[in-house]
Amino acid sequence: MIKINNLSKIFRTELIETHALKNIQLHVSEGEFVALTGPSGSGKSTLLNVLGTLEHFDSGDYLLDGQSVKGLSDKALSALRNEKIGFIFQGFNLIKDYSLFDNIELPLRYRGFNAAERKRRVEHALEQVGLAARRDYHPSQLSGGQQQRVAIARAIAGQPRILLADEPTGNLDSLMARQVMELLEQINQNGCTILMVTHDPEQARRAGRQVQIIDGQLSDAAMYDPLAHNNAHAQSSPVAVA
Amino acid sequence: MEQFLYYLKVSLKSIRRAPLPYALTILILSLGLGVFFANATFYYRLNADPLPHKSDKLFFPFMNLVPYECQNCEPPNVLSYSNVQKLSATDIPSAKAAMYSADGYLRLTPQQPPLPVKIRLTQPDFFRMFEVPFLHGSVWPDASARAEVILSRHTAEKLFGETDVVGRRLTLDDFEYTVSAVLADWTMLPRLFDANNNNHLSEVEDIYLPLETGYDRNYLSNSQSSSFQDADYRKLATDGRTKAIHQLQFWVQLDTPEQQQAYRQFMANLTADEKKAGRHPSTINNRLVGMRDIVAHFNQQGGDIKAFALVTLLFLLVCLFNASHLSLNRYIANQYEISLRRALGASRWHIQQQAMADVLLMAGITSVAALLIGYSGISLMNYLLPANRLFSSWDWALLLSLLAVTLGCSYLVTLYPSLRASFGALNQQLKE
Repeated sequence: MIKINNLSKIFRTELIETHALKNIQLHVSEGEFVALTGPSGSGKSTLLNVLGTLEHFDSGDYLLDGQSVKGLSDKALSALRNEKIGFIFQGFNLIKDYSLFDNIELPLRYRGFNAAERKRRVEHALEQVGLAARRDYHPSQLSGGQQQRVAIARAIAGQPRILLADEPTGNLDSLMARQVMELLEQINQNGCTILMVTHDPEQARRAGRQVQIIDGQLSDAAMYDPLAHNNAHAQSSPVAVA
Repeated sequence: MEQFLYYLKVSLKSIRRAPLPYALTILILSLGLGVFFANATFYYRLNADPLPHKSDKLFFPFMNLVPYECQNCEPPNVLSYSNVQKLSATDIPSAKAAMYSADGYLRLTPQQPPLPVKIRLTQPDFFRMFEVPFLHGSVWPDASARAEVILSRHTAEKLFGETDVVGRRLTLDDFEYTVSAVLADWTMLPRLFDANNNNHLSEVEDIYLPLETGYDRNYLSNSQSSSFQDADYRKLATDGRTKAIHQLQFWVQLDTPEQQQAYRQFMANLTADEKKAGRHPSTINNRLVGMRDIVAHFNQQGGDIKAFALVTLLFLLVCLFNASHLSLNRYIANQYEISLRRALGASRWHIQQQAMADVLLMAGITSVAALLIGYSGISLMNYLLPANRLFSSWDWALLLSLLAVTLGCSYLVTLYPSLRASFGALNQQLKE
């Protein structure tokens, strides 16, 4: 599903160059639930952004669903994001003066679906996250956990192949965080590949595989999480192959 | 269409978030465009071609045929009666008419208070050449003197209370005349056949009198006349026809380049003959000036109008710059939403489509405001300069042009901000 070979990303200013990602090798199979972990500033969010094509990379290859992302036009990249990737941001990133319906409908607008199809998908997504009765509410009328569920509904409404979640429970209390994690697990069980950045070891353990990033490089995942026995194959090489 | 309505809805939401900066943008843009509209209206009208299908065929012949010696002089702006006779002595033009204007007083009965009128004294071809429409009656059969007048519709209604007054009699400056025709509504703006002394900016005359009758009845031009040597301008019937009293405009219709060349040659031959006969002491300086160039020939192009046009254009540029800056601030304030849309699948083209909805909305609101400001500006100018009143109307062509300018300006104001908002690091913008 995702194949990354020798991918590097450098942030440049006038004075300094920061090597955010160094020769990353990562393969993720369809249906996997991968947790990207690591200390702050290690590059895990940058990697997630590169995977979501929100950020360009400087060298290496990135194949998404067999298609090289490098050199794609803005139009092709936008279509790729719209059709194949769903985003869940830490800060929810909902538009405050839009109803839940309008927020969830937003990516579908750029997909070319007709009004009936958009309505069907939005209502289905709202049902999946348990907010069907609140379609006309505005984000400010909801709790943090509910807002994140709206963001998840928006991410899954287009039925993407991959869900990229950047600390989806970072702004939530433990109860709400658990509910969101259960929702993500349920989505994963339905066949959607999930890559999730998290600081929380407990949540990371709930993922099928953990990939740790330190100083922009993938480290030995098993060392970081000795309980992740299933990831033994990832220890043999910096390339985390599922 | 549904997606476009969605873009409009998004634009309206964005306006609702910060209505004051948006209102300020509209106000600044409307102000610049309103002032520009007001000036553009006058500029458009003053420079309009009143006979676009024919103006390239109508010419005013000028020559230095004066009884004094003048080297490298420009020919006089008006011709003498004898000059016109000489310039008319050919069949090359399809039509030809000499003319001038005068003032008079009109009434039906001696008891009635006299009605001041503007008179055009001319020849029959005038009406054909400048496509003057007739409502009742017809033009005089020839250019000879006759006690017959042609009235404008407005004058007929004012004097008789009706328009079908052919054959009725009236008194013009103590002489009796018969009405031979009444014109239909006719406006020629600018009246380029009468461009001496900026007369082309005034309304058409109230009454038309045969030129020969005008000379017989001693009507002197009210716009431009000059007499040389011993010519007595008070004796138009005699001296006016034989001596150097210059007061006539003379127009010829030359339909083809061959006719134009032939008439130039005719003028050259005429002046050569006159010089040979000792009647052309000055340097030969013949001109055949087309109707479109006549205002420039008389150096009456209105430098103040041009200067004002430049000032309003500069003012519009300043307003555009400021509105663009405000628009940029608005887009920067909406950067987060634009980036979110891009992250969720909107391409830069989608963002440009969204910007086009912004442009149309802005153009719609700005058009109304700018037209109101423009109309107020025109009303003020009409009040301050009543002579410009005739040149302050809008027609569909002008309105559509003005709307197109508004659309263009709205696009310019939105283009850079929308492009700037479409680029940049999405990830960074989503965090801000």
